[in-house]
Amino acid sequence: MLKDYLLPASVDEALQNLQAYSGKAAIIAGGTDIMVNMAEGKVSPEALIDISRIGEFKQIEEEGEFIKLGAGVTHTQAARSPLIREKALVLAQACREVGSLQIRNVGTLVGNVVSAQPAADAAVALVALEAIAEIADLQGKREEPVEELYAGIGACKVDCRSQLVTALRFKALSPNQGSAFKRLAKRKALALPMLNVAVVLSLKEGAFEWVRIVMAPVGPGPVRATASENILAGASVSPEIIEKAAAAAREQAAPRDSALRGSAAYRRDVLKVLVRRALQDAVSQAGGSL
Amino acid sequence: MSKLKVAFQLNDKDVALSVDPNDTLLDVLRGQLNLTGTKKGCGKGECGACTVILDGEAVNACLIPIMKVMGRSVQTIEGIGDEKNLHPLQEAFIDKGAIQCGYCTPGMIMSSKALLDKTKSPTQSEIREAIAGNICRCTGYVKIEEAVQAAAEKMRDS
Amino acid sequence: MKEYQVVGKSVRRLDALEKATGMGTFTTDLALPGMLYAKVLRSPHAHARIVKIDTGRAEQLPGVEAVACFKNTTRVKFNHSATMTFTVPPMEAVLDECIYDDVVRYVGDEVAAVAAVSERIAEEALALIDVEYELLPAVFDPVKAMEPDAPDIHIKKAGCFLCGKNIPGEKIHLALGNVEEGFKESDVIIEETFYLPVQKQAQLETQAALATVSNNGDITVWSTTQTPHPTRQILSHIFQIPQSKIRVLNPPYIGGGFGVRIGLSAKAEPIAVDLAMKTKKPVKIVYDRKEDFTSTDTRHSGIVTVKLGAKKDGTFQALQLKGLLNTGAYCSFGAETIGVLGAMGLSVYRAPHMLYTGNSVYTNITPAGAFRGFGNPQAMFAIETVVDMMAERLGMDAKELRLKNIIKPGDPWILPYSCQSTGLAECIEKGAKEIGWERRGTLNKPGDTLRRGIGMAVGTHVSDAWPFCGDFSNAYVTIQADGSVHVASGVPDMGTGTRTTLGQFAAEVIGVGMEHVSVTIADTQSTPFDIGSHASRTCYVAGQAVMKAATEARGYALAYAANMLNEPLEDLTILDAVVFCRGDRKLTLAEVARHAHLHNEQFIGVGKVIPQNAPPWLAHFAEVEVDTETGQVRLLKMVAAHDVGKAINPVIVEGQLQGGVVQGMGYALSEEVIFDREGRSQHDAYHKYMLLTAEDMPEIKAIIVEAEDPTGPCGAKGVGETGQVATAPAIASAIYDAVGVRMKQLPMTEERVFQALQELQKR
Repeated sequence: MLKDYLLPASVDEALQNLQAYSGKAAIIAGGTDIMVNMAEGKVSPEALIDISRIGEFKQIEEEGEFIKLGAGVTHTQAARSPLIREKALVLAQACREVGSLQIRNVGTLVGNVVSAQPAADAAVALVALEAIAEIADLQGKREEPVEELYAGIGACKVDCRSQLVTALRFKALSPNQGSAFKRLAKRKALALPMLNVAVVLSLKEGAFEWVRIVMAPVGPGPVRATASENILAGASVSPEIIEKAAAAAREQAAPRDSALRGSAAYRRDVLKVLVRRALQDAVSQAGGSL
Repeated sequence: MSKLKVAFQLNDKDVALSVDPNDTLLDVLRGQLNLTGTKKGCGKGECGACTVILDGEAVNACLIPIMKVMGRSVQTIEGIGDEKNLHPLQEAFIDKGAIQCGYCTPGMIMSSKALLDKTKSPTQSEIREAIAGNICRCTGYVKIEEAVQAAAEKMRDS
Repeated sequence: MKEYQVVGKSVRRLDALEKATGMGTFTTDLALPGMLYAKVLRSPHAHARIVKIDTGRAEQLPGVEAVACFKNTTRVKFNHSATMTFTVPPMEAVLDECIYDDVVRYVGDEVAAVAAVSERIAEEALALIDVEYELLPAVFDPVKAMEPDAPDIHIKKAGCFLCGKNIPGEKIHLALGNVEEGFKESDVIIEETFYLPVQKQAQLETQAALATVSNNGDITVWSTTQTPHPTRQILSHIFQIPQSKIRVLNPPYIGGGFGVRIGLSAKAEPIAVDLAMKTKKPVKIVYDRKEDFTSTDTRHSGIVTVKLGAKKDGTFQALQLKGLLNTGAYCSFGAETIGVLGAMGLSVYRAPHMLYTGNSVYTNITPAGAFRGFGNPQAMFAIETVVDMMAERLGMDAKELRLKNIIKPGDPWILPYSCQSTGLAECIEKGAKEIGWERRGTLNKPGDTLRRGIGMAVGTHVSDAWPFCGDFSNAYVTIQADGSVHVASGVPDMGTGTRTTLGQFAAEVIGVGMEHVSVTIADTQSTPFDIGSHASRTCYVAGQAVMKAATEARGYALAYAANMLNEPLEDLTILDAVVFCRGDRKLTLAEVARHAHLHNEQFIGVGKVIPQNAPPWLAHFAEVEVDTETGQVRLLKMVAAHDVGKAINPVIVEGQLQGGVVQGMGYALSEEVIFDREGRSQHDAYHKYMLLTAEDMPEIKAIIVEAEDPTGPCGAKGVGETGQVATAPAIASAIYDAVGVRMKQLPMTEERVFQALQELQKR
């Protein structure tokens, strides 16, 4: 049961609070995950440390070639940010798909990452953007790719007893680059994804310079479709190569049968379609033609 | 049970309360303040029946720990209009037949209000985005959408 | 057509203002001084015997005031649905449950309940109840449950009526002519089997009740019931207390129902009453959303087989229907739903030879009971799909084939009342025009991956519960001393506009505006007996009762006025609350009523109705787009053309149709509760159970056709349930038009459509 609720005004204060409770406090940002987990008895911290009052956490900024999102940036903010819509569309698209507007208005992108659910839409897009998480503790700051933070279903490598993710950072896309997010769900709002796919790619002289394809939920966290990425890297843009890459994603993915998300066989078949469609969108965004 | 002090603005008035930190904003509105217009449909942010406006944005009160509203501004269905001075949305919901059982209605109106407060001429897809987190099992949403459009029109005219 | 002043007008709903301002009171909103909160311990097992239950530790938790289980609670058998109050002999109601039993029969079955000073403490106490279970074999498949070696879920004994292995109630047999002959006479015969899912009402307000027991034994229960009077009868039976000492009422609003609380609100009322009796304090119970999913009635899942024989010219010759419904762990309305499935299924088309056989069967899943449509959507998905197939086989247009075979007044049909009105042909024509039926089959180019299709389906329903069970209504209408009018009716308004509609009848009959009318509903103490809000009956039956009562009250007022004016009665009329006679002589109704009151008379009318029944009719049309690569079906447009008889309040009627269609869309495409191999629901939350959201809506067009029925109040017929009767088969028909696959299982999820497309490709 909660005995206290803290509203630190700075990162340092939040970290002090964490230390003071030595593992018995939990961080709350939007609260859309932890409130449900607490109600279901899955976690029962003695105190909540609410980081939503830390001023710099609300910022979306361009820092050189990077876009930086504070730990308090919500899905609504990201989905509607002109900067993200222009230079990281995949993330705006992914954030728009989460839950409902009420959820998006409070749920944060960092929360989406640290909850470490296998098909968290924003996290899938962030992995495709090769986003880096800034992690602070009382000893200092370090950086870690979002992709590396997964330690199993619902388990994040960030030690929430002493550490805080303070920001996310990724490279803004340039005009020869494109991105897209595709999602299969049983309804258009308030729906768990049956599948989601994020693609970020770069074109150079009619060929794929590099491609990052992330798919979920086909593993404990977002999964890079490495085979597909390799097929595309350096290859000329063509419908045939895209089809081949999509087929490779299907082969690599290992979804599980799920009463809520559909059978493994079905989702593998549709995954191929989503990967192909995401690639097509991203190519056309990057100025390529098919 | 340890109690904490919380102060916030509720429907444009300052309130200061002693609360159980385990309570949500919804628990406090309904249980402590007897503002039962905000409904509980699921308690997990999956139906929108408890939607209130927090600093201008629609949120599920069931997912907001009460201490989170410290120093902030909360608006509930009771704060937007009454029988003598209905909010245009309330009037439109009544006139367009957008209310059946009425259990989703307060949340639906608050979601719509959060939209119309910022967007004077919402498109159909903006309206749908705004209310997609509010489950209605009675109306099929048709008349609700009509009501939101009608209210937007009325608010533009006045 | 008759001219009305109030009827037929979309007057403002009487409940709208309170609901729009958050001032309307629902059961979940109620609180009384000293009130306790109840929480229920539910079975984690699908079938088990409770070997040991120890509530000691829970009782000792500070704040806990009572713990109830089978050991300290009445074990009178009952049925939580209202069936036990209006099953007419020689039929027997199935009484197969008690509040807590020593055997649990599904995951979610009641084991014990705690009353405590807060919900949180009650919840904590549940974890302190020690229960030891002896697991029993369980069965979930309705076919396997009827096999000889299946576990017995109930044993046959007094009250629990079985007519076969795990078969509660009666096996239904309806026949017309001789189907074997009919099939011999047919040129084309099609036989297909269809699989129907568990659908959940998922009404916004969960089951809830607040009970108080006074020290002289009077009991008051506010609850979410759709049927206060029958609920009182059931409580009286369970607790062996005279009905006159129990008051059941809505507070007055109910957050939806759709059939889930016809009778008790699951077990909310008896659990609250029992704990109130044990603690001598008010006790409130509110089911949480998970409990509402796992432990309250659902729509019956099942298997329906249709065999249709037709002549080459399209004339239907024989129609055979077989139904099997999975009624879950307790019978609830299982014995009636299976009957309605057959009766409605055979009432749409004319065929000289018809046969229906069907039964419900127990299994160890959540009980199934009443849900809007009550067996009819199950029947019509099967029948309408086969009719569509027949049209194709005969090379006929599916619309024309239907027009050729639909029932017309005077045709022989299976029901014991006559069909006296039908606007179905008009529904079909108007709906076809709205959807653009002529475009059917022309919407796609070869190679399109997004393919469009148009489909249709038709159906009927009832306007009340007779002859499936007893049905009658009573009402009081009184003209107050100031000329205002008060209506009292026992039917709840669960959001369907009942209160307003009944008020309109009274206003129309007496001759006053709606501003003079108030309506009390859903209270056993202040309203006369009524079987409640279900079976699309409130407008049709309670409406008749109100009209009769109003007519009587008006008669007294006119007679009194005639006396006052010294004019012949037949020259008097009331318009806008003024009694007029020839010339310019007039008195306001207020003047008449006040005069009467001062001379010791009130104008009280009592309306009693034993209804006929009348068929509403409907034609649904769908336009869809199927993504052939994912199997996803996107609805583009739904048209629902309904013959509702006289539409008493068109906006309310439209709302019923639109809402019903959307439930039908969910039934067609996404709504389904699946149980795993241990009998655990996989869809026990709003984020798992796929109700459609505002963003999923197509264009929805409701068309009202008014073929007035001579038996209905002002010609009205039932409308509440009709909205989703034929939605799923219309969508299935559109999917077929788009991609050429016949879906025989609901819901038609993306995965099922995808699989069907793959099978089609293989062929």
